[in-house]
Amino acid sequence: MTDVIKFFTRRQGKKKASLTDWISYGFLFLGFLIIFLPVLWLVMNSIKSQFLLQKYDTNFLPMDYERVARATTYGPDGKDILIIKDLEPWVMFWKNLDDEERAEKDVVNYIKNFTGNEYYALRSHFGLVSVFAKDLIVNQNLPEWLIKYPSMFPSAKKDYDPQSIVDNLNTEDARLLSEYLGLKPYKANGFTAQILVSMPDPETGELVEYSVSRINPTKDTVNARLVTNPKGGITKLPQNEIIINKSLKPSWINYTDPLTKKALGSFDAVRCLNNSVFVTIVATIITLLINSMAAFALSKYRFNGQIVFFVIILATLMVPASVLIVGIFKMVTMTGLSGSLWGVIIPGAATPTGVFMLRQYMLTIPDELLEAARMDAASEWTIYWRIIFPLALPAIAVLGILSIIWRWNDLILPMIAVSTTKAAYTIQLCLLDFNGEYLAREHYALAMTVVSLIPTTLVFVFLQKYITTGIASTGMK
Amino acid sequence: MANLKLIDIKKSYGKTEVIHGLDLEVLDGEFCVLVGPSGCGKSTLLRMIAGLEAITEGSILINDEKVNDISAAKRGLAMVFQSYALYPHMTVRQNLAFGLENLKLDKDDIEKRITKAANQLRMEDYLKRRPGQLSGGQRQRVAIGRAIVREPSIYLFDEPLSNLDAELRVATRVELKALHARLGNTMIYVTHDQVEAMTMADKIVVMHDGIIEQTGSPLDLYNKPANLFVAGFIGSPKMNFLDSSSLPEDIKKHAPKGAKTFGVRPEHLNIQDQNALPLEVRTVEQLGSDSYLYGATIDNQEISIKLNSQTSIKGGESIKVGFDDSNTHWFNEKGVSL
Repeated sequence: MTDVIKFFTRRQGKKKASLTDWISYGFLFLGFLIIFLPVLWLVMNSIKSQFLLQKYDTNFLPMDYERVARATTYGPDGKDILIIKDLEPWVMFWKNLDDEERAEKDVVNYIKNFTGNEYYALRSHFGLVSVFAKDLIVNQNLPEWLIKYPSMFPSAKKDYDPQSIVDNLNTEDARLLSEYLGLKPYKANGFTAQILVSMPDPETGELVEYSVSRINPTKDTVNARLVTNPKGGITKLPQNEIIINKSLKPSWINYTDPLTKKALGSFDAVRCLNNSVFVTIVATIITLLINSMAAFALSKYRFNGQIVFFVIILATLMVPASVLIVGIFKMVTMTGLSGSLWGVIIPGAATPTGVFMLRQYMLTIPDELLEAARMDAASEWTIYWRIIFPLALPAIAVLGILSIIWRWNDLILPMIAVSTTKAAYTIQLCLLDFNGEYLAREHYALAMTVVSLIPTTLVFVFLQKYITTGIASTGMK
Repeated sequence: MANLKLIDIKKSYGKTEVIHGLDLEVLDGEFCVLVGPSGCGKSTLLRMIAGLEAITEGSILINDEKVNDISAAKRGLAMVFQSYALYPHMTVRQNLAFGLENLKLDKDDIEKRITKAANQLRMEDYLKRRPGQLSGGQRQRVAIGRAIVREPSIYLFDEPLSNLDAELRVATRVELKALHARLGNTMIYVTHDQVEAMTMADKIVVMHDGIIEQTGSPLDLYNKPANLFVAGFIGSPKMNFLDSSSLPEDIKKHAPKGAKTFGVRPEHLNIQDQNALPLEVRTVEQLGSDSYLYGATIDNQEISIKLNSQTSIKGGESIKVGFDDSNTHWFNEKGVSL
């Protein structure tokens, strides 16, 4: 710690900080912010709730709003707008849940807690209207064409007269059936989640609650509805006077759900992480072994075609990776590695960059060491494993770091090799999978992105020391 | 214990022949020094003996067994490299043990040998250090120690002292000589420094341009150089060479038939009238115990003189130097000693 303080209080001269010091530290700080802020922003966003993310919340901290539901219902009395308070969060996001999760909730019993228009609004929100209406038609032996009626063409509808049937029912059943059939004055009920704000009454000073659909920080006013009288229409409230009922509420479920397999659908973050760890470790070990052996041969042996091999290896550096996609796909499929993690590991094991880097480093290892080892009766394998490999460790550590980062962040190769097998998905594929066709799950995606950053960061922190120290304090004069 | 025979050894790199047919015999227990100017092929020869370099033609015999096709590891030799070539990532102990582990010796034996070598070379204190933490002299010891633990039949040294400072070099020279006396092994030592060669060798092999100019004991080479090259190479400062035709008559009359060049060592010249050569002194170096005079004859041939005392002669003076007849060397047209 004292080292850190010493480091950050270094100055050009001995006395007071000079202009150069200020500029240097300013520049350092600016650079730090430029690099670090986006990461920090990502981390902060990863603990925001899904609601906030969907509202494009621009707060730095995960300040959660108090939420209310704004519903519209239609009935004999005309359109009604109502605000429902104190609903459970999952109710607000019913539309975003998948079938499995919906099945877990007992909505039929849940809506029994509500009455009147609140009941009707929630009933259509949960999609229960058609369920109940079909039950009604079956139970009361009503004509079967009623079931098909909502999906009929307008011309076909003319042949039937549902209104007469509805008129014979009691009010509750008539309303249900009318909503199902879309008979006037019933229209589809609306339901959205809104933000609860409050503002002191200009005259009495009492706090009055309003419901707001979104708060745009660039505008001076917000459009709000009175919670007590939502039908009273929209009033514009001055943004700087309203009190937004916010509380710091990190949404840890973004992390815990995927990691405890509670997240939606077939997604299993733990399995993805395991796959990624396996691929990264095994592929890196293979890469380091193969590349260092090739580099050893290219740097320390004289053989025919040495230069040709080296040039060919270097030439592959010029081929863009995207050109190879089809080739690799065919290779992986034909060797039966498709769908297996080995299909991700093997094609990328030999890298021209690694061979080149290690070869250049090994050229600096004096030949006399090898000769000394040969005089010491060492086999060529012993020379490689006990002399060359440890002496090339600084370069191998660099390649190791690169390989780990490449493999961990790789998306293309897993897509080529395992995209058809969910069980073999690596974390990058899984992150991609989050943004499914119908489901937006940015909150999980963001959280898992942060998780996926951790290994590479840790690796760098620990191996970086290794690079800078470098154990090749040479024994040569 | 082993002897070494080289029979008509040749070495070419592509079309360039760098060693042109060498014959050499090193006897058991001999300290043989290969000496010559840089580029004369002495290191290449040593590496061929070691087995690190293939030979193009000829044969190498160790203990009368041909070893041409035997790998370096199996020849049972040990080599001390100019740069020491210590394994930088291993401790001194590991450096010493490496070769023994490769030979699959058992642990007790390795430990015994290391202890013995460490004891002999007084390096017990730094067995746990890495080469990077040692001084030049200490590294030198480790390099020698690494050779000793192998208990080889022949030791090969490739300019092992060239990286040491002057003082340490003298000390190590003495130590190496003592080591040879103690071990009694055959040693082959390569150097470009004729002082090292003179002080350490039982037998000196003077090499030049890929051939052996002369082989013999140090004093043989000094007293009876076979040719101009050896005469000039052995001895410091080097022997004075004068064109025999330019000599004064009373010296010229001693010349054997066919003599072209006359040679006399600086230390054999005195300020005297016998066989006197007139000389103009240009520079004087006073070392306290000795003095070196550098001058030129009338026809501008350079001459150096070593006096075993301090002198009052100054640059620019004209003096006469002479010598004993027994200390003269004559060479014919081809540079061969007469």
